[in-house]
Amino acid sequence: MNKRVVLVMVILCSFLLGGVAFSQEAKLKAGFIYVGPIGDLGWSHAHEQARQVLEETYPWLDTIYVEAVPEGEVEGIIDRLVNQEKVDVVVTTSFGFMDGTVNAAKRYPDKIFFHCSGFKRAPNLATYMADFHQVYYLNGIMAGALTKSGKIGYVGTFPTPELKRHINAFTLGVRRVNPQAEVNVRWLQSAWYDPQGAKEAAEALVAEGVDVLAFTEDSASVVQVAEEKGLPSFGHYSPMLSYAPNHLVSGQLVHWEAIYLDFFAKVYAGLYTNQNLDNLDYWWLLNDGAVELGADFGVPINPVYEETLKSYMVDDPVYGNISVYDLVFKLEAAMADPEYAFSPFTGPIKDRQGNIRVPSSVRLSLEDLITMEWAVEGVAGPWPGEPE
Amino acid sequence: MDRKKLTQFHVELSLQPTLSSTVFSSLLAIILAFACGGVIFLFYHISPGVGYQTFFRGSLGSWYAFSETLKRTIPLLLVGEGLSLAFRAQVLNIGAEGQILLGAVAATWVALFSGLPSFLLLPAMFILGFLAGAGWALIPAIFKTRFAVNEVLSTLMLNYVAFNLVLYLIAGPWKGKGVRGFTYTDTFPEAAWLKTMGITRVPYFTLLVGIALAIGGYFFLKKSALGFELRIVGSSPETARFLGINEEKIILFTMFLSGGLSGFAGVGEVAGIHHLLRHPDHISLGYGYTAIIVAWLARANPLAVILTSFLFGALLSGGDALRVSLGIPFQVVSVFNGLILFFLISTEHLSRYRIIWRDKKEVEKNGS
Repeated sequence: MNKRVVLVMVILCSFLLGGVAFSQEAKLKAGFIYVGPIGDLGWSHAHEQARQVLEETYPWLDTIYVEAVPEGEVEGIIDRLVNQEKVDVVVTTSFGFMDGTVNAAKRYPDKIFFHCSGFKRAPNLATYMADFHQVYYLNGIMAGALTKSGKIGYVGTFPTPELKRHINAFTLGVRRVNPQAEVNVRWLQSAWYDPQGAKEAAEALVAEGVDVLAFTEDSASVVQVAEEKGLPSFGHYSPMLSYAPNHLVSGQLVHWEAIYLDFFAKVYAGLYTNQNLDNLDYWWLLNDGAVELGADFGVPINPVYEETLKSYMVDDPVYGNISVYDLVFKLEAAMADPEYAFSPFTGPIKDRQGNIRVPSSVRLSLEDLITMEWAVEGVAGPWPGEPE
Repeated sequence: MDRKKLTQFHVELSLQPTLSSTVFSSLLAIILAFACGGVIFLFYHISPGVGYQTFFRGSLGSWYAFSETLKRTIPLLLVGEGLSLAFRAQVLNIGAEGQILLGAVAATWVALFSGLPSFLLLPAMFILGFLAGAGWALIPAIFKTRFAVNEVLSTLMLNYVAFNLVLYLIAGPWKGKGVRGFTYTDTFPEAAWLKTMGITRVPYFTLLVGIALAIGGYFFLKKSALGFELRIVGSSPETARFLGINEEKIILFTMFLSGGLSGFAGVGEVAGIHHLLRHPDHISLGYGYTAIIVAWLARANPLAVILTSFLFGALLSGGDALRVSLGIPFQVVSVFNGLILFFLISTEHLSRYRIIWRDKKEVEKNGS
């Protein structure tokens, strides 16, 4: 008993000392490593925006960044950040940096590491992710109301569980208001940033008869194709309203700064140390303010589409006779509720082979979400890695 | 008479550039490139002094920095050795990038799918990697000898084929089970990892092979009969034909060797650094193209390749330091490489001129 009390005291003191140590030093210094150039419209750009917010918000924090770092070079860059730039915290923002970050965390046990989208953790290495599946569900509801042909096009980069989860959520949304519609998927499998490939894939989908476009890729290509063909579309990652002022309905927007602000405040306060990050995995959603529904920040639905969506009435199993416009905001409120009142992946859900994947009134666990390989009913087209 | 008094030296055109004129024009090219680089620093409101200091400290200023430079030097050295022999024979192999990837592919197959016992993994990876790179280079070589297809185009085009082959493998049949749907293979077993020097990430095996090759390549060119034939084919195809030298044999040999060494370098990258096969852009980092400049700058002299590959290794790791410490965009490092190549080509002409300094006494004597 006594031993335990002493142990708790020691841990508490070390927390306090950690906090004191950091606040005595003038500043905390963090280095951000991006896999892409910050000039893209996607992933790395969004992280860089968040870093700038962080730098402006916390006077006690200095940040630097390194862009376009090849995955195999990440350890060398971390070495430079730690040895030459004397950073206290290293943030690595690509799945491919995972093993390099794990090695570096072992080599520098007194530094703190923060890795995005990975699943390996250590006492001084935490992970984080801002996930879009709820936002995709809301986009899907609008897409289901806007399609006339009943065929919606989706351009995806790589068939990872993340994209499969997002396409499934999108399709579940589509089918909530339009049970006969299907989502036609095309995979690029070339790069996360492939404007030319995305353009060709979107044009091919339009040629096949889809009349709404959504996508996961780090450029505005698909939106530009939609503008050119006069079809409704949904933006990804960055505000893309300016690329298709009349044909961007809504989209998915990220606020990485929500996670960064929280994490760094707790590191600075000494709550997060190089000893206690083993189980720290941020999985932040609508209710955490890490993601936003919108064609632009503060524009959840493009006013151009307001009338159409308000006049499209559905008989919803939960909300009764309701316009799609109102349904979107009801569901957004339900998902943004701190009690997490609604999840798109609530059963019963069947995969497209007809197997029950989520039993009635069961909600998928985090582990099920991040390892998702199956496709929901309504997804059409190839699905690499689909379970038998 | 009066004019002679004024001129203390004159310039002479010589057909064969001498060692000193080559060194002089190369140094001049590098100095001019660095001077232009200084202007780039000014654009980013960084004093060139600070810029160069960061650059040199980050590439040579500490053991750590030096090891990062060595790490980048190794693939350039291996590929550059092969290319220097090919270029010496006027065989323009531009396909090293693809040959590196083929070596990496063969090594990955051995490491993950061959089922060989652990102790055989690394030797088999290097042997098969060499053969894969060599075989890939033989395709354009045979096209050249049989159908007179220009090897610059065919080797370059095959780079894209190799690139897409890697993409296909990592997204399709070789996609890893433990990578959550991302496009990587699984990690190699540790028996297939190259040992590194101490706490650095420099695989010493490939470094030693590179240096041994440089020395071997030098004596091969100087002393061996085949080396002699190779040089004749390169410097004067007419003479070679007159002497009855089999030109086809030289083309096939140099392509085989340069492709093989590129493949070998590719094995070194996946076995020494990545320990898996990933997106082709992240495996080779353009070493296959940079090595062309390395071999050019060395004037296709195998011993000089040690120097030039180290120079470019330093350029790459110094470039990293600029990005980390001064926040200079990554493209600027490529601009630096481009500048050096640009000035090298422009000063190439200069190396054909010789400056003859006239003896002061002689000048006085003539003048009196």
